[in-house]
Amino acid sequence: MRKKLAVVAVVAAGAWFLPYGLDSYAIHVANVILIFAVLAIGLGLCMGVAGQVNLAQVAFFGVGAYATAILTTKAGLGFWVAAVLAIAATVAVGLVVGTPALRVQSHYLGIVTLGLALAFTNWVTNAQVSGGAEGISSIPGPALPGVDLDSEYLYYYLELIVFALALAFGLFLVRTRLGRRMRAMRDDSLAAGALGAEVPQLRMAAFLLASVYGGVGGVLYAGLIRYVAPESFGIANMFLLLGMVIIGGRQSLIGCVVGAVGLALVREGLVDHPTVAQVAYGAVVVLVVVFAPTGLAGLPARVRAALARRRQRQGAAARLGPFQPYPAAGSRSSGRPMLDVSGVTMQFRGLRALDEVSLTVSEGEIRGIVGPNGSGKTTLFNVVSGLYRPTAGHVRFRGQDMTGSRPYRLARAGMSRTFQNLRLFGDLTVEENVLVALDRSPTLASWRYLLGPISILRQDRALRRQAGDLLDRYGLTEFAQSPPRSLPYGIQRRVEIARAVAAAPSLLLLDEPAAGLNGEEVRQLSEIVRSIRDSGITVIVIEHNMGLVMSLCERITVLAGGRVIAEGEPADVAATPAVIEAYLGDSMSTDDLPSVPEVTA
Amino acid sequence: MQVFLQTIVGGVSLGAVYALVALGFSLVYRTMGLVNFAHGNVVTVGAYLASTFYLSTRLPFALAMVVAIALTGVIGLVIERVLRPLENRDFDLMLIGTIGFGIVLDALIIMIWGATGRAVPSPVPSAPIELLGLRIRTYDLVVLAIAAVATVLLVLFLSRTKRGAAMQAVAMDHEAATAVGIHVGRSNAIAFMIGAGLAALAGGLVGPLLYVSPALGGALGIKGFAAAILGGFGSIPGAIVGGLAIGILDSFMAGHFQGYGELFTFLIFTVIIMVRPTGIFGERTVNRA
Repeated sequence: MRKKLAVVAVVAAGAWFLPYGLDSYAIHVANVILIFAVLAIGLGLCMGVAGQVNLAQVAFFGVGAYATAILTTKAGLGFWVAAVLAIAATVAVGLVVGTPALRVQSHYLGIVTLGLALAFTNWVTNAQVSGGAEGISSIPGPALPGVDLDSEYLYYYLELIVFALALAFGLFLVRTRLGRRMRAMRDDSLAAGALGAEVPQLRMAAFLLASVYGGVGGVLYAGLIRYVAPESFGIANMFLLLGMVIIGGRQSLIGCVVGAVGLALVREGLVDHPTVAQVAYGAVVVLVVVFAPTGLAGLPARVRAALARRRQRQGAAARLGPFQPYPAAGSRSSGRPMLDVSGVTMQFRGLRALDEVSLTVSEGEIRGIVGPNGSGKTTLFNVVSGLYRPTAGHVRFRGQDMTGSRPYRLARAGMSRTFQNLRLFGDLTVEENVLVALDRSPTLASWRYLLGPISILRQDRALRRQAGDLLDRYGLTEFAQSPPRSLPYGIQRRVEIARAVAAAPSLLLLDEPAAGLNGEEVRQLSEIVRSIRDSGITVIVIEHNMGLVMSLCERITVLAGGRVIAEGEPADVAATPAVIEAYLGDSMSTDDLPSVPEVTA
Repeated sequence: MQVFLQTIVGGVSLGAVYALVALGFSLVYRTMGLVNFAHGNVVTVGAYLASTFYLSTRLPFALAMVVAIALTGVIGLVIERVLRPLENRDFDLMLIGTIGFGIVLDALIIMIWGATGRAVPSPVPSAPIELLGLRIRTYDLVVLAIAAVATVLLVLFLSRTKRGAAMQAVAMDHEAATAVGIHVGRSNAIAFMIGAGLAALAGGLVGPLLYVSPALGGALGIKGFAAAILGGFGSIPGAIVGGLAIGILDSFMAGHFQGYGELFTFLIFTVIIMVRPTGIFGERTVNRA
């Protein structure tokens, strides 16, 4: 910590005294670099932190600059008023550009944002108000009483302060609740939604942040250069910006800044050979994505990991602690229905995965769902937890019709689930995985970030305390700071259950929780699930391990071929002829197998 | 009515070029799930190579085109080989990798052929044909015919040859394809090579229609992508229909909005993606939990 502070102090002092060693051209370059750094932070927040491909960052930059230019020269506003309005305009544009992210992701989002960026340059090149291809010149600069901002040396300090604030805010955001949620969404948007993260709002927030940084960059640019023209905001600069973020390391804001400064300096050094510079940074981008996907910022961690591997890990390995049962809640089994599925049908093209499935689970129950592979168990979970909208039928949760609600709404209403193939957030630590689930505040409440860091920090500290208690209960304390990928499978399973319970559900859906566990781990799992139920949470579990199901569940529902073929107490169900038939088969006839849908290319 | 039909005719030949670009996108996408962002730049390379052989070495137009296609195909192979470690692992990174290649190609084009463009004369007599009162350029017919032949050859390759069938298998399930002994990397390489070849064909054909300049590929690339999306990404008939539709749309937009034509094309394209991301012939993809 002290070392970090020292580094920050040295860098800050260096930046503060930098102008004393620079001539008038060099200070201009430094000013441009700072603007690129602000833009890169915005792009890093959107692409690296929230995982939203954004090739329109340069358009945000352009909107900020053009709006400032138009408002000062055509509307006659003062620079500062124009600046505030310009940033507001950029945010409005950012929200428009972000809307496609609600529907499409990855490549599609990349091409849509790129298309919108091209549309922007097309517009400014043609429109009257933006001065056409010539652009707008003689923009009045900002005025501060007592400070002559026409001097590029003094303008540097204005930019430096804005940059420092922008970076500090970005770093604070990444480490606290909103940023954590965004990173969770980046790693696995499905799991994040199932834990109550409002994915649509988070995606818009990512574009909003990118546009604020873009707008700030644009205002600074207009104030510095005093001239705007379409080619400054074209595709070439977009790709340059992208190169900065990728080479620096998109997931680290510091990395983005380092990339921006580094690439801008290289470009400046090769100013007489722009094509050579372009070949060089394009090639570096390719090499970085292939050999060092985390960029420059990721190198220290890779080196450390390599060294640790060579040294063959000294010291004792972390150990899984015992599970400490919950104190039993007083009243359970009130008998009220917790979940009521009625007549649910799910059709995928020719395949009817669920056929008129109905079942009711009462509060305080542990319900088992079994059935042969492909009988529709996971599909049922996906319908119940809102990932699929059923073709027909209704799902009532705690008396309310929640058919086809978005997963995050169901999660916020008190439903939580685990996944058959484990969906932990890979680039978050175990503690952060749990924190994402513990944090029940609505994403819209993130406007509080504007009020300053105190209340956010206080809430974050409270969350961390809760996470500590929870990890302690599940015996995971020693793994709190590890990335989940590095852990053995059985421990990852336990982390996922802890994370699902952290969301404080009233109904917990466990999809094959015992898959891949050894005998001892299955015994512990049984103990954990029973204790979770005793704490007042209703549990539904899909499982193939019949020993576990028979001993754990009070009632069992059997699915086969998408239909409920039996329901009742374990012993009764096991004796039902239809169940024996479904598991063992009564003949070799294949008539009753679901038909395989024809695959068309 | 006359103007209406004339606008359509004007859009069809560029539409055929967009369709070829879209085919290249779609072929790579269906095989490996990747959108090649360098595709537009590959088109430019193809256009420059074809025009260079045609203009300076006095090769016949067709032969110049074949040489350009072969050379550009090699570029496709190189891109695929470099990015192979990322295949089926991280698509966002691959996407950025192809952007990196695009940046490099863009700069190389300017280094080799300069920043200014060149006009390519039409290889067939330029007098237009009068048909039902419509003026049709002969070269437009050549473009349409070549595009149609290329499409038929591609479809035959995919459906009738063993190599093509293997590529289809990789497209459906790369793990299962590996299990039955298909070399997935080689299959992807061929997809990339054919994609680049189609790009070169499109670039070569478009030379006499537009001005060949370093900016050519950017516009063609994004229009071709829009065409692929509109038709349904990964679908061969979709690419054709989408290409022609975008060509005609373009022609109308340019007629009605002049300089703003591109702006409106992109806005319409964005709306289409949001309303129906799978396009006209696209398949629904299901998120697996």
